[in-house]
Amino acid sequence: MKTFEEKWTAWLDGQLSGRELSEFEASLPDKAAAEIEKADAKKLGALLKSELRAPALTNEEFFSHQLRERIVRESSVPSVEREAKASTWWTIPRLLWTGIASLAVFLIFTVFVIRDKNPAEESQYLTQILNARVDPVVSPNATVSMFEVKQDRVTVLWTEGLQSLPADYAAK
Amino acid sequence: MDRSLAFLILFVSLMAGVVSEGQAAETVWSGLVIAENVAQPQAVPPELTRIEGALKKFFGYNQFQVIGQSEKTLKTGQEDWLATSKFFGLHVDAQGESAAGYVLNLKLYKEKELLLETDAKLSKRSPLVIKGPQVGSGQLLLVLVIQ
Repeated sequence: MKTFEEKWTAWLDGQLSGRELSEFEASLPDKAAAEIEKADAKKLGALLKSELRAPALTNEEFFSHQLRERIVRESSVPSVEREAKASTWWTIPRLLWTGIASLAVFLIFTVFVIRDKNPAEESQYLTQILNARVDPVVSPNATVSMFEVKQDRVTVLWTEGLQSLPADYAAK
Repeated sequence: MDRSLAFLILFVSLMAGVVSEGQAAETVWSGLVIAENVAQPQAVPPELTRIEGALKKFFGYNQFQVIGQSEKTLKTGQEDWLATSKFFGLHVDAQGESAAGYVLNLKLYKEKELLLETDAKLSKRSPLVIKGPQVGSGQLLLVLVIQ
């Protein structure tokens, strides 16, 4: 058994028919007023349908909407799990310090290697006198000494006491 | 792709350069030089330009004249040659090549008389200067340079 309210709603929606409709309309105290109310209700329904349609999203709104949804989703992940995911040893300051430390180690090793290597390299690039001798009969007091001038990369064999010769010996 | 190709070409060129440098025959200039102090010194011979400063600094002379010279291109590192002036002769006997240079036996003769003998490892980047006997007011120097 429907109540009056139910029948009234059904009548406004045009869902009553036949005997039920005629009985309900007969029970109305002022049918004309009811008809006006029915017409108003229909107008209101039409207006709401046309005005309250879901608005189309523009691109910006769409993306911000998606972003908001994602934030909501992610914030629903348990915080412990989130921290475990986000935490890493390689933070920016640590990366920076690691870089500086590596550079320092590299420089230290470079300095040591260069310091160790330089003498050998220099001697490799300088001419070396292995031995020298003068004829003791011709020049009994002669001495020889050798030195390397690293600045000019010249090696000199220096002799003293060789027999002096007249200027004629400078001829070509 | 283009960049990789450029790097490849550069690498190959460098390698080729290194290889060719390692295999290139080198020329040794040997000179008998009279060093003197004169009022108006002549220009230093081009072969000595590279070591002009060192020669002036160590020996204290202002003129250097070449009285005998020889240029020898070494291919096997076993060659020998002679640089001569009227009275002096410098015999150079190459006895092998190493990465740093050549092992040389040098003999300075005054006519047929051996004045001085030495063995040296002549570096490609470092000239050798030998102070010889006093000649008049000057000094005989023997210079060897890999050119």
